[in-house]
Amino acid sequence: MANFNQRERVIECKLVYYGPGRGGKTTNLQHIFKAFKKQATEEMVSINTKGDRTLFFDFLPMGLGKIRGCEVKVQLYTVPGQVKYDSTRKMVLKNVDGVVFVADSLKVRRKENVLSLVDLQQNLAEQKKSIFEIPLVLQYNKRDLAHESIPLLPVKLMEEDLNRKLKVPSFPASALKGTGVRATLQECLKLTLQHLQRELKWMR
Amino acid sequence: MADQEQMKSLAKEAELYRAQGLLKESKEKYLEVLQLIKKNQRFQHNEKAIDGIKYKIHSLEKDMAEIDQETEAPELSKKVQDLIKRLFSFSQDKAAAEMEGAVALAVFGQFERALAEFGRLLKEGTSQLIAAKNILRCHLAFSSSDAAINQYEGWLSGELLSNAQLRNIRSFLEYVLKKKGVQTKLSEVVEDPSQKSKDTGSDPGLLDISSIRFRLESGPCKGDIKEFDVTFQSGNMISLIISDNESDLVDSIVPGIRLRGIHFFSQEAVFTGSGVVSESKRIKTGPRRGDYVLGIRIDST
Repeated sequence: MANFNQRERVIECKLVYYGPGRGGKTTNLQHIFKAFKKQATEEMVSINTKGDRTLFFDFLPMGLGKIRGCEVKVQLYTVPGQVKYDSTRKMVLKNVDGVVFVADSLKVRRKENVLSLVDLQQNLAEQKKSIFEIPLVLQYNKRDLAHESIPLLPVKLMEEDLNRKLKVPSFPASALKGTGVRATLQECLKLTLQHLQRELKWMR
Repeated sequence: MADQEQMKSLAKEAELYRAQGLLKESKEKYLEVLQLIKKNQRFQHNEKAIDGIKYKIHSLEKDMAEIDQETEAPELSKKVQDLIKRLFSFSQDKAAAEMEGAVALAVFGQFERALAEFGRLLKEGTSQLIAAKNILRCHLAFSSSDAAINQYEGWLSGELLSNAQLRNIRSFLEYVLKKKGVQTKLSEVVEDPSQKSKDTGSDPGLLDISSIRFRLESGPCKGDIKEFDVTFQSGNMISLIISDNESDLVDSIVPGIRLRGIHFFSQEAVFTGSGVVSESKRIKTGPRRGDYVLGIRIDST
């Protein structure tokens, strides 16, 4: 749950990038770090394995400045996508305020997207949070590979697979090229801050 | 010609998946290429092409095996360990936050540092039972059952923990070793006559209980499993303390509600039973001022 310091008018919230392994969660954060360097309050921290896979998490703290008289800070995290790091994912997801689910558009990763979304739903449920209630945005990453004739899942099919019941905002993106990254983050932040306003009434 | 185009396209896919770290998918595509080559009269004798694909499959298999065998938790720098402690301790209560930070270090496989943190908390007297049990868990995950047993034996000969706590820890260790399939006879806690009167302030019909664990069945924390040190016991009445920042928890354990399936940790064993919450009061003075003291009347074991 977000930390709201009423006396100093500072709200700090936590967004987690979730999704299957090698789907582009870290690439999203790397792009955000480059594009919003001014807002980054510390260096981005990544704990990777030799093969550049996220081992524990990536962490990027940002200051968004004042919104309606309140200093807004956001901590961005990624989870390790590989199935074997379940306890780490659970730990990183603790006290989450909003989630960006980064789905892989590659046709060969269709099943992994669904499994990862189910995993998210279960891990949220363990914290007594509902996937239908938490601020959530879907991102269909790697759309740029369509130009390289690599078989991709049509967006419509990804919507059917992942968003048929959730009906949350979704964005086609290419984290590598930076397309759709900003829009995804902005939407997730908007939903999260609206949600926190209902919960904490932090806006004046 | 169509086969050749398909081979090219599959090889391109395989190469891209490899570059993206999707090794299993890459291998599958190379296997498809290999199948096509073997079926095609024009290429089936092209040993160079076949060997080339086989070599790529072999190196993918090697990379996959390396990833599987990778040490799950390398030792991180102190700076990153400090960050983990900071990021994953959520409680406002300092002692609770310190414990959360140490638990996070253990979850992220930083066992040596976690052991040092739990050891410090134990010495400082912060939630000693929880700290001690986590030390044993770290030993079991990080080194061996023997290390955990040696640790217990060390506490047994020291003065850090009371007999009631040691008996509780003994039951816990016995339970986890049994679950791991380790057959061993742990040393008994020797009764110290000077401690006896302190430890046995309870009804002779009920064992000394040093901690309890139960799942909440109602209220805002429904479904949560909680464990508490017992701070006082008189007969079938036990008391425990809940930190003031866990107001949700206090709202879940109101006087009158029945707690079923309580696990009681005592010197003899872990046993289950039920109880009724008899009181919930805010502490008005002393170092635990603001915290809540909860009374539970045990009515069946």
